[in-house]
Amino acid sequence: MTSFTQAFKFQNPTIINFGLDTASGIADLVAELGGSKALVVTDQGLVDHKIVNPAIQSLEESGCKPVVFSDVPPDSDLQCVERAIEYAKREGCDVVIAIGGGSVIDTAKAVNIGLCNEGDLRDFEGINCLTHRLKPMILVPTTAGTGSEVSAVAMIRDKENGKKLLYGSRFLFADIALLDPRLLVSLPPHLTAATGLDAVTHCLESFVSTTANAVSDSLALEAGILLFANLPRATSCGDDLEARSSTLLASCMAGLAFTNAGVGVVHALAHTIGGKYGTHHGLTNAVLLPFGLRLNMSTTEKLYARFWRHLAGSGVSRDMPYTSLVYDPSLNDEQAALALVVAVEELLKLCGLPRSLRELGIPELTDEVVMELAEVAMTDPAIMFNPGEVTVENLVDILREAF
Amino acid sequence: MAVFSSTEELQDVMSLLWHEIKESPDMANKLIQSKLIVQFRYREPEGLLTIDCSDAETMKIYTGPINIKPMIEMSMKADIAHEFWLGKVNVPMALMMGKIVSRGPTPKALALLPVIKPAYAIYPGVLEGKGKNAQMAG
Ligand SMILES: NC(=O)c1ccc[n+]([C@@H]2O[C@H](COP(=O)([O-])OP(=O)(O)OC[C@H]3O[C@@H](n4cnc5c(N)ncnc54)[C@H](O)[C@@H]3O)[C@@H](O)[C@H]2O)c1
Ligand SMILES: [Fe+2]
Repeated sequence: MTSFTQAFKFQNPTIINFGLDTASGIADLVAELGGSKALVVTDQGLVDHKIVNPAIQSLEESGCKPVVFSDVPPDSDLQCVERAIEYAKREGCDVVIAIGGGSVIDTAKAVNIGLCNEGDLRDFEGINCLTHRLKPMILVPTTAGTGSEVSAVAMIRDKENGKKLLYGSRFLFADIALLDPRLLVSLPPHLTAATGLDAVTHCLESFVSTTANAVSDSLALEAGILLFANLPRATSCGDDLEARSSTLLASCMAGLAFTNAGVGVVHALAHTIGGKYGTHHGLTNAVLLPFGLRLNMSTTEKLYARFWRHLAGSGVSRDMPYTSLVYDPSLNDEQAALALVVAVEELLKLCGLPRSLRELGIPELTDEVVMELAEVAMTDPAIMFNPGEVTVENLVDILREAF
Repeated sequence: MAVFSSTEELQDVMSLLWHEIKESPDMANKLIQSKLIVQFRYREPEGLLTIDCSDAETMKIYTGPINIKPMIEMSMKADIAHEFWLGKVNVPMALMMGKIVSRGPTPKALALLPVIKPAYAIYPGVLEGKGKNAQMAG
């Protein structure tokens, strides 16, 4: 945040309903929203893990027959969304529920656009161009990372035209975000860590973004503490409900922060690389985050230092072996900012995350491909919120180093 | 009070500005390379401006209703457009605050913002040429 005199708007109309086993009470929420037939969007893995069972049981017992669509692939696409819309229309659904990770949640949002607007979904791509309310929506995250349950955007792949469609509108805010940490117990370690780093990136990028404000800052800082303190444990002990609860909350708080403040260069590159190679969003952010932090160092040293002082001052190093987060009041801004980058690297190590794009399975990057990726990333909206000006050359350097 | 008093005045100023942009190779070439058709839809007063670079060779500038399907539509109050050309609008912030509505692949349009930045310096002169003062809308 630059100055307290700068105008801003912080919005979040979504009710956040948090608690262990809250998924078993979802039928009451549907009733509160006036729904009688719920479309439940999820994916097959979640059905197989029985993660959807408490919610489905609650709906069935209440007499609100759930219509389950479980055909969502990772990084959902338009064809899948269209199939779900057709199914929901045929069944006469009047509420949309998503139970899953970011892919499922984004799919449900796009389905809701299609349920309430006639015509090709591509025609509704854009920012602020939806004109009316959609059907009531309850979003239940089963990963702790994307913050999509409180965000006003959805990204859907348009395979036919080889691009990702971006939808941004206040009508994409859910009515209710239902956070039940127990649903995350089965999330495997590598996905826990990868999705968690998406949330960490939301904290750090929104905190220094050009549109950051006092409210988003407070959420980013607090979510940052929760993540540094709990993500390693959530990764290694999946059934630690304290760690699951903390990271789920933090992911939601970081979602509120970036929804109102934007992200930055790390997300711009992650969207581009994910678009070309299908790499996981959180994992790609994880690899790129230290590089993005270093790139922005000259413009954001003071802010990074502030973030570090907040983190280190919270005492996270008492429970977790972060050598870079032992509070030392004598560090100047430059030293504290650098300590933050090292802390991120320590977090990646504690969570067993890869440190290079090569480890994500990306094949050799030729000069041509590097240039193409850098140029596409320059057109990603996330880059507009980055604190310092970014050049194609900066991105080329990051891609080379991160490989 | 709105900066522009009529559709005609608004479209005149915007058209003149875009003709200046067209004459500046640094800006024009990159815009033409984008092959985009962008339509600006103004309100208070109403106005319509379409910039067509789809043939990758020339930039065509149209005011008023036209039978071309834009790839990107940007809708806003005319005052916001005025402030934008004075370099006073943080576009991502304006999008977040709902002051600009963008239909179509918004990122492609946002990517051109750095390209048209030099036009901020041209705009006050365009206004003055039309007998208007750049400070009118503060
Ligand atoms: N709309 C937004 O604000 C926003 C923000 C960031 C990312 N995203 C999008 O989110 C997507 C990534 O979402 P994600 O990181 O949550 O991953 P994901 O939704 O793609 O899920 C990854 C895998 O995890 C499995 N899984 C999910 N929860 C599980 C659980 N509790 N137990 C066992 N397995 C489980 C899923 O079945 C899937 O196979 C990307 O498409 C990205 O574009 C959206
Ligand atoms: Fe993200």
